[in-house]
Amino acid sequence: MNMKKIRRSLFSRTTLRAIVSITVFLILWEAGSRSKEWAGFTMPWIGLVPPPTSVLAVWWDLLGDTGYWQSWYLSLMRVLSGFVAAMVIGIPLGLLMAVSRTFNSITFPSFEILRPIPPLAWVPVAIIFWPTEELSIAFVTFLGAFFTVVINVLGGARSIDMRFYQSAQAMGSSQWDIFKRIVLPATVPSIVVGSSVGMGITWNVVVAAEMISGGGGGGGSGGGLGFFIWNSYVGGSYEQIVIGMISIGIAGYACSELLRGIGGFFTPWLRTR
Amino acid sequence: MEQVERLLKRTLPFQVVSPETLDGIAEISRHEVFKAGQVIYGAGQPAEEVYVLVSGRVAHRIDPDIKARVHEKELQVGDVFGWAAILEGEKVRLADVACIEAAEVLKIDGARLLELLRKDVNFGEAALKSFSQLISQQYYLPPSVSERVPTTLSKVGDTRTPASNEAEPQTASAWTLTMYRASAWLKSPDPYLMMVGFALMLGFWYLTVEVLKLPRFEDLPGLTTVVKEWFAEDPVYGMSIYTAEYYQHIWVSIRRVAIAFLLATVLGVPLGLFLGWSRSFREYVFPVFELLRPIPILAWVPLAIIMFSGSETPVIFLTFLASFFATALNTMLGVESIDESYTRAAACLGANRWQVFKEVIVPGSMPYVFTGLQISVGVAWFSLVAGEMVSGQYGLGYVINTSYTMVRYPTIIIGMVTLGIVGYTTSAMVRVAGNYMMQWRLREMALGGR
Repeated sequence: MNMKKIRRSLFSRTTLRAIVSITVFLILWEAGSRSKEWAGFTMPWIGLVPPPTSVLAVWWDLLGDTGYWQSWYLSLMRVLSGFVAAMVIGIPLGLLMAVSRTFNSITFPSFEILRPIPPLAWVPVAIIFWPTEELSIAFVTFLGAFFTVVINVLGGARSIDMRFYQSAQAMGSSQWDIFKRIVLPATVPSIVVGSSVGMGITWNVVVAAEMISGGGGGGGSGGGLGFFIWNSYVGGSYEQIVIGMISIGIAGYACSELLRGIGGFFTPWLRTR
Repeated sequence: MEQVERLLKRTLPFQVVSPETLDGIAEISRHEVFKAGQVIYGAGQPAEEVYVLVSGRVAHRIDPDIKARVHEKELQVGDVFGWAAILEGEKVRLADVACIEAAEVLKIDGARLLELLRKDVNFGEAALKSFSQLISQQYYLPPSVSERVPTTLSKVGDTRTPASNEAEPQTASAWTLTMYRASAWLKSPDPYLMMVGFALMLGFWYLTVEVLKLPRFEDLPGLTTVVKEWFAEDPVYGMSIYTAEYYQHIWVSIRRVAIAFLLATVLGVPLGLFLGWSRSFREYVFPVFELLRPIPILAWVPLAIIMFSGSETPVIFLTFLASFFATALNTMLGVESIDESYTRAAACLGANRWQVFKEVIVPGSMPYVFTGLQISVGVAWFSLVAGEMVSGQYGLGYVINTSYTMVRYPTIIIGMVTLGIVGYTTSAMVRVAGNYMMQWRLREMALGGR
């Protein structure tokens, strides 16, 4: 039964068309990149990008290279440290702002003033302030996820139906009960959304931070994927740039999917919809 | 007395007035009973009182000389008539009113009523407005009559009452509302707590960096240094509000974002519409879109530099790419959010595919499109900064990065704050434009009771 379903979706028209579309895309890319060889002239833009076949060839060689996997590991660690810090600080802060009107009035305007500054603009200040480059990259990554998480928690708490509070109060709930039974469950879905969006931003930021600050302490071959891309650019290995881009894409996508899965576990009531 | 008030509360114009005004109106209203067939007033007679029907049935026949869309009308309990008594200009009855069966009415003196409404600063205006609405919507009279209701309180001046002239004449209701909101906000604790918040933030910065000189903190530029530098006519590090360079950087950044944003909107919105509208188009194109989307925009930086010559195009390309994905994706979601019964209904009524697209798909997806545009501006600034920091000349991101390498630390902060201000302003502009164009949706939601 289940196998049948899988087989049906595997050979459905949608899958077929997806395969066709991606194949056409790859062929066009290949043809465009090799335009110099078969058409005698370099196509604008795409002609300067390495073709997918040579990217694959270089990637195959890289798979055995520890430096490459070291970059994965370093970037992932930075993302995780920044992200976890953002969750640990951001979620309680968002909840506190949602629960206490006074606290909200004090902090929210200041928060809104800092929020429009793009996280990357903090890079130089972070480098000046934190003693190691590792910490400054983690700090910028933290900022990237932090604002999104707080705003999402706050938005989730604000969209709670007034009547829930009123009926809970009418039935004699204490403040703590209201928080535990209404505010917390109601904000979990937006915490999940906020964290998966924040994860996306975190990967964005980590790449840029690594490029700008020059790779952290790892040195030559081990400075994270962003540094891997930048180093490949400086070294003129254009295939490796594309490999780096795809690797970050895969890593970011996997992290977001993982978070969504974890989120689904915490919000079982949303699964049936 | 209480009964009278309850009755008044049920009528259209007096629903809105404040309790004090309602008390006053109830005090000046007199109860009167008419027999069946009796004439309450006739057209052409002087109009002094406004009437409210308490019970019974009354026929209302507007003078045929006055151009009303409907001339005859039977009034219901709670209807207000005899409003000619509060019109500006000649106060003359415009209709014949007679009882079909025995009727009870409340008579309210027109001049004194106006005086009461005038005292009601908050709601008198609204009551008078609903009078003019009543005249045009329930009595079907042309604007030439309904406009004679003194809609603004200052016009009520011709009733010449010596009492309570202290209140300033109110001229514009929107202005009144804004002022009312502002004063309510000032009376709430919010603005003062906000000040406390700012003071805490700035105080923390000032104390840690400049007064206490804590380790690590003392390397950062201090509050006073930054402010002095920012507003100095002769800045130490070469950039302040008095230097042309500052505005040049702002202008270059804004120009890049504007180009990228417009390009992303022009290309992204149609692409998103087609992705949502045509199933086969989506199945062919969306996989490639999804393949490229997880790659962080900033990972494109070196590739963009390779692909595009110069330092300007790569930065614009990066900014464009970020905006483009946000816009296209949100537009597609917008199309998917449209209730299928709309497209079906349009098809049933004989609309062809193009008409469905034009009349249903495009307007239906607009709320999501504007959400997408708001996100798009945000990510545009985000990736612009990255692009400018890595490559490019001029621009606020470039300022921040070069100020770091050239150890002009206060300028870094100036760049950051400016970036925040400019970024916030552009987002706000898109939001305001979106809200303005999406007013129909708000109205719809309000009518739906949501």
